[in-house]
Amino acid sequence: MIWKLRKLMVHGKLILCLTFKYKKGYVMADQIIKREDLVQIDEYTYEIPSSYRPDMLVPARVFMNERMMDDVLNDRALWQLVNVATLPGIQKYAFAMPDIHQGYGFPIGGVAASAVDEGGVISPGGIGYDINCGVRLLVANMNTEEVRPYLQKLATRLFHKIPSGVGKGGKLDFAPDELDKILGFGAKRMVELGYGTEADLEFCEEHGCMAGADPDLISDRAKKRGSDQLGTLGSGNHFLEVQYVDEIFDESIAQVYGLHKGSVTVMIHCGSRGLGHQTCTDYVRIMMGKLPEWGYVLPDRELVYVPFNSKEGRDYFAAMAAASNYAWANRHLIGHWVREAWQEIIGESAQLNTMYDVSHNIGKIEQHNVNGIEKKLIMHRKGATRAFGPGRPENPAKYMNVGQPVLIPGTMGTASYVLAGTQESMDVAFGSSCHGAGRRMSRAQAKKSVRGSQLREELEQSGIIIRSDSDPGLAEEAPTAYKDVEDVVDVVTGAKLARKVARLKPLAVIKGG
Amino acid sequence: MEKDFEQLPHTADIKIRVYGSTLEELFANAVVGMFQVIRPLVDGCTVINDRVVCESLPIKRAVAVRSFDQISLMVDFLSEALYLSDVNNEAYLAAEVHELSNTFVSATLHGIKVRGFEVVEIKAVTYHDLEIKEIDGTWQADIVFDI
Repeated sequence: MIWKLRKLMVHGKLILCLTFKYKKGYVMADQIIKREDLVQIDEYTYEIPSSYRPDMLVPARVFMNERMMDDVLNDRALWQLVNVATLPGIQKYAFAMPDIHQGYGFPIGGVAASAVDEGGVISPGGIGYDINCGVRLLVANMNTEEVRPYLQKLATRLFHKIPSGVGKGGKLDFAPDELDKILGFGAKRMVELGYGTEADLEFCEEHGCMAGADPDLISDRAKKRGSDQLGTLGSGNHFLEVQYVDEIFDESIAQVYGLHKGSVTVMIHCGSRGLGHQTCTDYVRIMMGKLPEWGYVLPDRELVYVPFNSKEGRDYFAAMAAASNYAWANRHLIGHWVREAWQEIIGESAQLNTMYDVSHNIGKIEQHNVNGIEKKLIMHRKGATRAFGPGRPENPAKYMNVGQPVLIPGTMGTASYVLAGTQESMDVAFGSSCHGAGRRMSRAQAKKSVRGSQLREELEQSGIIIRSDSDPGLAEEAPTAYKDVEDVVDVVTGAKLARKVARLKPLAVIKGG
Repeated sequence: MEKDFEQLPHTADIKIRVYGSTLEELFANAVVGMFQVIRPLVDGCTVINDRVVCESLPIKRAVAVRSFDQISLMVDFLSEALYLSDVNNEAYLAAEVHELSNTFVSATLHGIKVRGFEVVEIKAVTYHDLEIKEIDGTWQADIVFDI
């Protein structure tokens, strides 16, 4: 290892830092942020000043409370956030939502805006391999007591009808021409094919079809992986959950969203499957090959980026949009099958309407006001949800006056939340919120602390039906492995990132069969 | 070689440390580690000491990967194995590396059909924290998989 005191010119700033040789770049030694490195801005906001590390272009801000601090400081998530603050063109702050934990490249819960006209860049590692991983919420026209007699049968039917697809693919296999149409038009194409309804599209971010998608920029390998995986959940923290509205916090917004105390909901959490994973892998590789040409010094190679206004930048964005469309088509198809299962078990009168569908791993071009100036920004949200306030044209017309629904899946034994984007959120963190409870414990630790079979028994005893054929998989997703979702949501509302609307509690958890 | 790989703590993803007495062995063991850690569900195989053990691995896949440097080569090599696994529903529990330089690897992966993976599906091989180094004559690599 070669240690050196180096003078670096980064974006016009002369910086001095102690570095060691690390492959082709240089990395500073200390990768753990300590409590004393943080400056408290207000009750819920902490800052790592840009003086912390010489290559930071802006300060890093994390939303959390004192109780969560040990978990947040426990891994290298904040170090990764400091790395994000070095992104060329970055505006205001590198943000971390309260569900932050260590990821790769960006931390999970990371949000960064890079200005298109100020040398802005796009980073696949700031969006994630599971492009447009997200959440769809369906609301039933029945309450908990009406659905309860059917729950066991419903859970079993959903388990068999919605495959995980892992190691075996899904139920449908799309020909190349058809797959291209799905990549180009997302959920819209699925409606043309007879799956789901126009109303599903109305209540979906980007109406389920992101503009600028180019199927030709998705590799044949990605398409091969994706041809038979539409309508599959995947594994890990992806799930299908039947829930009920346990509490309403904002009656007027809940009414607009169609939520009432006791309403039954179905939450779908999944992404773009192998097609998205391969697309990100492909473009990380392409960008890696371009690094010498652009001459960027990266603190972590997984952060690799290119200028948005380069061929590679534009190509990646168009490919990412196509993979996003695949993910929306995926959740849309699963939603359609959930609806079918619902009617097969309960009867024709049982309706499920899409309340909203949000992405929490995505890049977007958005217009935001930055210190009084309107700017076109490349928004990276990785493990973070858009949370636009009232009046933004991106919101569905029905929700225009109340703000965008923000869907926060919790853990199996606790609760999920529906929040609403706020006007303040637009100013605080470019209209962004958290995406879940956020892990606090490694999967290995979780498995050591709880046995899957025991957890299954405990959850069933507390009245939650579980359908999953993997006990280790269950143990890894144990509620204790996550931060307290109540804490996370309290910080989100305290920091004015979003407003609490409703809390949802699980009735049945289905991990793909 | 006593140990071919072990799992290291990581809050959300899977991190493994792979060992090899040669670089060739390191690359081969990385493939084995990547699939063993997610425990393939395979008919006719048994699980012994947290490892899936099969009497035979009937499927052979020849791979040849060219990349920019040693680190990228490891990522691209494992990504190739992951791609083959996903499209063919297979897991590779042994590998022979035939030719290896800093920018090229050719190998044969030995695998078997799977019904799925008991622990989780790996989405991708990341560059994050990826180091390849030699310590006292043993090659070692830390690899983080997005899951």
